[in-house]
Amino acid sequence: MSAIEVKRVTFSYNANQPDRVDVIKDLSLSIEEGTFVALVGHNGSGKSTLAKLLNGLLLPTKGEVRIFGNSTMDASKIYEVRKNVGMVFQNPDNQMIASIVEDDIAFGPENLGVEREEIIRRVDWALTKVGMLAHKKGTPFKMSGGQKQRLAIAGVLAIMPRVLVLDESTAMLDPQGRSEVLKVAHELNKDEGITVIHITHYMEEALGADRLIVMNDGEIAFDDTPSNVFTHDEELKKIKLAVPWDTQFAIALKKAGIDVGLPVKEEDLIDSLCQLL
Amino acid sequence: MRDISFGQYYPVKSFIHSLDARIKILVTFLFMLSVFFIVSYTMFFFMYLAVTVVIAVSHVPFKIVLKTIKGILFLLLFTAIINIFFTSSGNVLVPIHIGRIDMSITDQGINFAIKMAMRFTLLVIGSSILTFTTTPTELTDALEVLLKPLNYIKIPVHDLAIIMSIALRFIPGLVEETDKIMMAQKARGADIDSTNIFKKIKAMLPVLIPLFVSAFRRADELADALDARCYNASSKRTKMKVFKCKASDIIAFVAVVLFIVVIFLDKYLVGSLITPPDLGGLEVQGLDIFLYNLFTLAV
Amino acid sequence: MSIVIKNLSFTYSRNTPYEKKALDNINLEINEGDFLGIIGHTGSGKSTFIQHINGLIKPQEGEIEIFDIKLTPAKRPRVDLKALRSQVGMVFQYPEYQLFADTVEKDVAFGPKNLGLPADEIKERVKQAIEMVGLDYEAVKDRAPFELSGGQKRRVAIAGIIAMRPKMLILDEPTAGLDPYGKEQILNLIVHLKKHCSPTIVVISHDIDEITRFATRIVVFNDSKIVYDEPMRELFKHSHMLNQMGLDIPRAVKIANALRYKGIDVSDDIVTAEDLLKEVVRLYNKKHNTEKKADGVSFDLYDFSQKWAAAEDEKPTPENAPAPDADNITPTDKQSE
Repeated sequence: MSAIEVKRVTFSYNANQPDRVDVIKDLSLSIEEGTFVALVGHNGSGKSTLAKLLNGLLLPTKGEVRIFGNSTMDASKIYEVRKNVGMVFQNPDNQMIASIVEDDIAFGPENLGVEREEIIRRVDWALTKVGMLAHKKGTPFKMSGGQKQRLAIAGVLAIMPRVLVLDESTAMLDPQGRSEVLKVAHELNKDEGITVIHITHYMEEALGADRLIVMNDGEIAFDDTPSNVFTHDEELKKIKLAVPWDTQFAIALKKAGIDVGLPVKEEDLIDSLCQLL
Repeated sequence: MRDISFGQYYPVKSFIHSLDARIKILVTFLFMLSVFFIVSYTMFFFMYLAVTVVIAVSHVPFKIVLKTIKGILFLLLFTAIINIFFTSSGNVLVPIHIGRIDMSITDQGINFAIKMAMRFTLLVIGSSILTFTTTPTELTDALEVLLKPLNYIKIPVHDLAIIMSIALRFIPGLVEETDKIMMAQKARGADIDSTNIFKKIKAMLPVLIPLFVSAFRRADELADALDARCYNASSKRTKMKVFKCKASDIIAFVAVVLFIVVIFLDKYLVGSLITPPDLGGLEVQGLDIFLYNLFTLAV
Repeated sequence: MSIVIKNLSFTYSRNTPYEKKALDNINLEINEGDFLGIIGHTGSGKSTFIQHINGLIKPQEGEIEIFDIKLTPAKRPRVDLKALRSQVGMVFQYPEYQLFADTVEKDVAFGPKNLGLPADEIKERVKQAIEMVGLDYEAVKDRAPFELSGGQKRRVAIAGIIAMRPKMLILDEPTAGLDPYGKEQILNLIVHLKKHCSPTIVVISHDIDEITRFATRIVVFNDSKIVYDEPMRELFKHSHMLNQMGLDIPRAVKIANALRYKGIDVSDDIVTAEDLLKEVVRLYNKKHNTEKKADGVSFDLYDFSQKWAAAEDEKPTPENAPAPDADNITPTDKQSE
């Protein structure tokens, strides 16, 4: 059984009216447990809508979303779904409920009626996983965006999800905060086997992913390994996306008549340049 | 990047700061009640002495505590004046009659006014020690526990506590946002600093509208975040933090209770055992009489 | 000289336990025609600094002279802040959050109106400002700002500032929160504004690759102080120090440094991708005895060839309840370069 099964899903605003807008169009998708998926698209491509369909915050107009076999349409299973799909949002300031870090992390398990000793264990575990244990008794007010967002991740980790959805969670962060969050997401995927769906508009952040899904206009434009997707630089440009800087540099070099292959990482580019020069 | 100090919390470390918020609320409540039972000047003296010691222990500068009294100075003066002119019992010191209204100043009136002012001041100092030494979060948590019995009469204490906690969490953000929007509109030449009240009200509109828009956007995102973290998933909600009394909490509690016992002894026992002497204008009660007798004996 | 800042210091919540120094003895001159970039960490003092230039914060110590208006800690003489703000336009972070009027036209007119200009001049300025940011005046003027897409809203907000016709424009993180394509459009818009609207521009950004695209001079804030103030091409000689402060250096510089470290004789005058491209081609030609050319090879990340960047129409997000005429907004190509 796949972790996530999206079957021919359409999602529309104003569904039964003349000014109906289809944001997701007859989309099918299946994600195996343990994969790290990057979901990329420009603003308005439908990627955030897709994210909210995954934990029942939005329900499909047509079709069906199944999380470990449970349909998000089944009201009796909705908390089963949400327990399995932890979701972190864009604005780090609008996700914390309590003013003290540990109280906030405890909020999820408290809602689920988890035993006290277990909650305490989970809070410590979640904060350790995101590298914020030292801030357990602190308040978020003076923290950097990256730190706040890692706390938001800890907050959903405490409900022990098997899938972690980062819904543009890096969009409002500075470069340092972005790499902090990304590092935590990769560690969770490797060490804990958590399925990660990282939604972003930065192609570079797809580099370490197992699978890169590119969305455009409510449909899937590409679904492949990142390095394979990056070969389509011209098509990506047309849907308002850009390949990573280093790949772009190699492409420009090729136009000048020098072939260094198609490096996706900085180290690769430096290595090929070294051999050449 | 303005720093936001919300509420009155004064961030230093002290014995008083470290006490459990629930104990502090209870103690403050008892203290405020007992203030109304103080009758003698001697007891007032002891009470002020005690409060002074507590402030000293709390490491909150006296200057800052005194500032809170400045805020109610007008109210203090107003009640004092009312008491002085409208208490007609007791010995008349200065007879004043305006038409048929008797506004004479009496000895009881003066005593009453002084004691009332002292009580008011104690109330304000007592409650501000609580807010200076307890964070708003601690206060809401403590209130949630203390008000728990209300659950039995179907008041959703937990939901109310969440609302309070979220409000506390978001108010600093909204204050900051207001600040930013105000700056942005000022940069566009808005008359926010104008002294003309009409201009000022008009200038607030471009601040309020974006502020509301932003508040709703935040509320929307927060609602998603609450849902994503399974809010309302289980009727058997658990709580990570439990009430644990430290030795210091018990000591503080016992000390305050003892103090209150003395106040009651003063009012109901000492006063009824000894007949008060006549001292003209000065009203003596309770321990005052005891001290007076000691004093005359010594002389 | 447009702006002279002398010994400026500022502390938040002075004399309280929350006290925090934000600016420490800042000295800076900004000249007419400067394209100045300011970089530094969050909390390094750069935002506090630019708020001073706009008279939004009164100096605590030191003084600022802006186009003959003097700001000092003294209470008198009172400064004509409106005159100051009409000369120094300030675009805050996420400027679309300050939109409030029911139509785009009214919102853009807010600034000029506050300056007390006559109605016909306001109208003319509003029209010109809206077109300047690449929107179609006729198509957007009567629409509610809230119906527009994120990038469009931001451009309306910028139009609201340039309608005041400032001599100098300050932008605080102008691309924050936009997707890379939206960022690219705003960057192109800034370059356009420098040419046609405001001769002096100051941009705060934490993305160094963004700032090196246009800035001619860069000021680095660290720990409430200015640590570097250098011509853009000179700054990255201090790459090592910048790294130690935790600040990024441009990609091309990083790669050039790495190549040099591996013993390749790379020129030290490399900042942008184009520089690196030319240098790699030069070195390649030298080693392999070829005559490859880098001229004409651009490093465009996006396909802007068909429309002028900022004029590209965007689809409003569905949450914004698109009006029926949403798709009629066509780009103006008046300003095509």
